[in-house]
Amino acid sequence: MKLTKVSVIATSAILVFAACGGGGSASLNKNIQIAVDLPFQGSDKAASDPILNGIRLAVKQAGGKVGDFTITVPNSAVYDNALNGAHDPQTGANNMTKIVGDPNYVAVVGPLNSGVAKAEIPISNAAGLLQCSPANTNTDLTVGAKAAALRTKPNNYIRVVTNDAIQGPAAAAYIITTLGKKSVYIIDDTETFGKGIADSFEAEFVKRGGTVVKHDAAPKTTQDYVSIMTAAKALNPESIYFGGVTASGGARILLAAVQVGLGDIPYVGPDGINDGSGETKDSFLNLAGDKAKNSFSTLAGPGTFEGKDKFDTDYKAEYGIDSTGYAGQGFACTQVVLDAIKRAIATNPKTDAELREAIRVAGTDTSVEYTLDVGKVKFDANGDTSQLIVSIYSFDPAGANGKGDWKYETQIDAAK
Amino acid sequence: MTATASPAGQPNPLARGLRMAAVAVVAVVAYLIVLWVALFAFGGRTVETAFPEALQQTVNALSIGAIYALIALGYTMVYGIIELINFAHGDIFMLGAFMSVVFIGGITGHNEAVTNVPLLIMLVLGALLFSMPIIGLLNAAIERTVYRPLRHAPRLAPLITAVGVSFILQNLALIVAGSGDRKAPQIFPLDWQIPIGGAQISILSIFIFALAMVLMISLQAFVSRTRLGRAMRATAQDQEAAALMGVDANQTIALTFMIGGVLAAAAGVVWGLRFGFVRFDLGFNSGLKAFTAAVLGGIGNITGAVIGGFVIGFIENFSAALGYSRWSEFLVFVILTLVLIFKPTGILGQATGDRA
Repeated sequence: MKLTKVSVIATSAILVFAACGGGGSASLNKNIQIAVDLPFQGSDKAASDPILNGIRLAVKQAGGKVGDFTITVPNSAVYDNALNGAHDPQTGANNMTKIVGDPNYVAVVGPLNSGVAKAEIPISNAAGLLQCSPANTNTDLTVGAKAAALRTKPNNYIRVVTNDAIQGPAAAAYIITTLGKKSVYIIDDTETFGKGIADSFEAEFVKRGGTVVKHDAAPKTTQDYVSIMTAAKALNPESIYFGGVTASGGARILLAAVQVGLGDIPYVGPDGINDGSGETKDSFLNLAGDKAKNSFSTLAGPGTFEGKDKFDTDYKAEYGIDSTGYAGQGFACTQVVLDAIKRAIATNPKTDAELREAIRVAGTDTSVEYTLDVGKVKFDANGDTSQLIVSIYSFDPAGANGKGDWKYETQIDAAK
Repeated sequence: MTATASPAGQPNPLARGLRMAAVAVVAVVAYLIVLWVALFAFGGRTVETAFPEALQQTVNALSIGAIYALIALGYTMVYGIIELINFAHGDIFMLGAFMSVVFIGGITGHNEAVTNVPLLIMLVLGALLFSMPIIGLLNAAIERTVYRPLRHAPRLAPLITAVGVSFILQNLALIVAGSGDRKAPQIFPLDWQIPIGGAQISILSIFIFALAMVLMISLQAFVSRTRLGRAMRATAQDQEAAALMGVDANQTIALTFMIGGVLAAAAGVVWGLRFGFVRFDLGFNSGLKAFTAAVLGGIGNITGAVIGGFVIGFIENFSAALGYSRWSEFLVFVILTLVLIFKPTGILGQATGDRA
């Protein structure tokens, strides 16, 4: 009986320590890890794999060391927020609770989806853990009252991609000026990211004098996309804009659009459908096949940059495949984290908790200019990057050994 | 199971069938007119452009409704005979869709549109003849191994077991096929359309509807005209009394599961042809809609399940046609709730004591 009591007390003590995010540990562990949280099931996997590769490449190129600290990203540090087949905010939140509770982790890279980030930021923020997303673009994560509501403590969240207030409008500008289409049918997936970007796309499209024939929304559980696209066809749009990701219906909507006779107008989507070539399992292009002939996509980062050739060569040498999607951004986030660790160590932290906080402070320092693979970048007080570049891609049927690939077209810099 | 078969005093099933067909035609035309009016009243279309669009959408609604109806039949038949809500039935449909992909895309290697008519017919027939028996036998095997030992257990046991079977089937598909969308070959050429009233009616839609009709009429005939069908109805009414009359209950129940599986497999085949993708969790939402259809029509009632399936197809289509797709599920369940409030047994359901 006594033993049980003791063990109960011991267990609760351990739990309290864990809940403090390792705050109770008084020593400084020099074998530290960077946690990763991305979706690795379903169509999301096609987008996440290259990011994880980019993260590990950056750690490897740094020699797995900063000063006398060893830095690793073991498989145990890689969390999957898509355990049930698709990215899920609740799973992301559970993962983040585990991550902040483990004192080995000094920072986290991820997630992929803005809806997941929305559930994770309150947890990582409360624990004061530096979080860098290579792919979240939703505006409400960083700017305005909704973003403020996610945070109870000083900011801990930064991202190396620009936000949807830039990405959505870039697509609108491209459709109107370059493709010369004056009307659009918009459909989003009702999620944080999809609806957000579709709304900012719509605002810019209207501002530029275009006509939005209809803005509909269909959740990823929708069965019958053919009826929805039949209604779209009746409105005679000159182009279609999809707000969402492949996993939430990107390719299914295109298939339905082609089926009702909308295959010859541009089908434009955000970075959510720029998830690899026709050879990548479960990617948009893999599912759409040659029906993607009029498809375009954007990435919320530069499509061409000074170090791109070097990055692509290194990536190919390491993994034997071409880098796709946000691989370079996974690399960039890790560069930021490593740099923050370096500056944090210089402040001589005495405990794990102090190290974690020093890394958070260093990572969110608005005065630092980073030299990343994607170029020179600063972060503002919200955690948004100074790089306001969106790149546009079109479908290249000859790419990826004839399976089709995204081909870089141009990039739009909102800062200019 | 209420098979709505030749009740006493109505000796002419043909007249009855014709009357039902007439009611169905009136309902479809009514939907067409309602949608037409709604499109130009709320959708911003002109009267002229609204009509072909409404016609097109009505055909879409009949296609998806036919798929829901075929799945709903399996729910309602199983409920009718052993009062089990077979939650694994949606996953049976999903496996049927996968079998079709295995046959057309895998075994015969056709992934693109096939313009050669005899070849196309062979492929579609092949997919049906491949998927339907396999899935039918699978469903019967599940009944034999999983549900039969629990037949006299408390109600909750087989119900929870059905949920478990659903997870097992989903995860089997997940292991074998992976977690992403899998391409289903759309072998019907997209430009095979018949212009009717300004709309372009695809041959595929006509095929889906015709196939569903043939299967449903065959089922109705089987249940109401054959010895085995009579055995099914007898077992549904009173298992013990039927057994005393020499009906083999085990065989009859297995047969019911097999027929349910066969119909779901047919729905799976046409699903792949129409929507071009299958996924391991496809059965969850389709199953939920079809289950709703069965409840809406009056669970246990075969005609009711068919009506329920089409009603849900029409409701979904209506919200999609007017550009409010995000409300379609909301609308489906609001209508289900309303029907259950005012007619707790569903549209055609009859109060059957503790069976209802």
